[in-house]
Amino acid sequence: MSTEDTPFDDRERDDAMKAAEHALGLLEGEELLASRGKAASDPEYAARKAWWNNWFAPWTDEVAPAEPSDAVWARIEAQINGSQPNLAANDDGDIASNVVDLASRLRRWQWTAGITSAAAALMLAVMVFSPGGEPRSVVPSTNGTVLAAANPLIAQVPIGDTGLRLDVTYIPESERLLVGAIGLIADGVHDHELWLVPADGSALQSLGVVVPGEVLSQELAQEITANMGDGVGLVLTREPIGGKPEGVDAGPVVAEGAFNQV
Amino acid sequence: MADGRTDPAADIARERLRAAMARLADGDSAALEEIYQATRVKLFGVCLRILGDRKEAEDALQDVYINLWQKADRYDPERASPISWLATFARNRAIDRLRTGKVRGGAVPVEEALPLPDSSPLADVLMVDVEQNAQIHACIQGLDERTQNHIRSAFFDGFTYAELAERADVPLGTMKSWIRRGLQKLRACLEASEAA
Repeated sequence: MSTEDTPFDDRERDDAMKAAEHALGLLEGEELLASRGKAASDPEYAARKAWWNNWFAPWTDEVAPAEPSDAVWARIEAQINGSQPNLAANDDGDIASNVVDLASRLRRWQWTAGITSAAAALMLAVMVFSPGGEPRSVVPSTNGTVLAAANPLIAQVPIGDTGLRLDVTYIPESERLLVGAIGLIADGVHDHELWLVPADGSALQSLGVVVPGEVLSQELAQEITANMGDGVGLVLTREPIGGKPEGVDAGPVVAEGAFNQV
Repeated sequence: MADGRTDPAADIARERLRAAMARLADGDSAALEEIYQATRVKLFGVCLRILGDRKEAEDALQDVYINLWQKADRYDPERASPISWLATFARNRAIDRLRTGKVRGGAVPVEEALPLPDSSPLADVLMVDVEQNAQIHACIQGLDERTQNHIRSAFFDGFTYAELAERADVPLGTMKSWIRRGLQKLRACLEASEAA
């Protein structure tokens, strides 16, 4: 039948179809990322995806049931007894869950060399000259000496294919986080918010709005530092000016990266 | 409602599951064990089918229930039955795991599963929805057999377009065309059934 073999006209590939492709698990790479972002920010799209999920769900009745080993419940029990449910984070929980899901799907960036030593020196110098206090902008300096800070964590978050990136450094000794957005320019319409992706799959934690062209230094709360570690992920979402408003979904993920210990 | 589901025990079990989900959303951690006991064999079956590896499937299953516990309020009883939602959730988590590239499941013969205990939940309790099942069946059967098989394979084996194309030994664009045309028909059929 020739009609079956005529190429499908991509103009007919509307949102409902993309949602179906996503629900089936056909998407990968950039398309998956885009669809994830859309599901997190567009309720109509999310509802369409749920519609497909609901239709496909009866197929799971055809899958042979199987008994997991007893160890699984033991591990679940140990894990929930070892920590409190994340109810306090519920404000962000729903929103963040979408982004968490996305983040978990993204392959971890493999940074071999990590940040360049010159950049590391710069970032550490900034840390030295900015003691205590609220997150604030500090003037980058190039003449500082690198402190022997205990194993800082460093992440680079490339911004699309612009060649620009965020440099994120965490200094365990002082529990300070430096976010450098040198070279980035604000578009006047959006802000970008940085999120930590805890390795245990719990809700994303906001690391604040990125300030283009500046380096921000801030002391992190204990509930955030508790999640810091080698390989822990970061995602950057696009938000309205001022960052993600309360009670709405986070915007699309535009970049991601992961901490490496240096 | 569907005539295929008249078992009062099954109805009670469903209601219990729904209530346990509501309690969990309210912060009652004890409800998690009840949900686990009632649904583990179905959800593990789903994870095992997608991942094709017991250890990976058990990790995925653990991940499913921990996530459920952390974010139970994501479930909206207005929109899906608990078992439908949980099965979808488990499948999605298993697919997430596939896409991280650590495992290549699907189509791999499933390893020998542990025998089901005598007290295992009745299959009927774990059925998503008889009526809905009949409808998706009728609609998918309206597609040509080749397209049916590829769409089902995407669902059951977790294959991407690229993987399906490779397995069928056709260009990627051809596979996309087949499936997209199929999805278009499937949607029209399902929407027509809703309107009826």
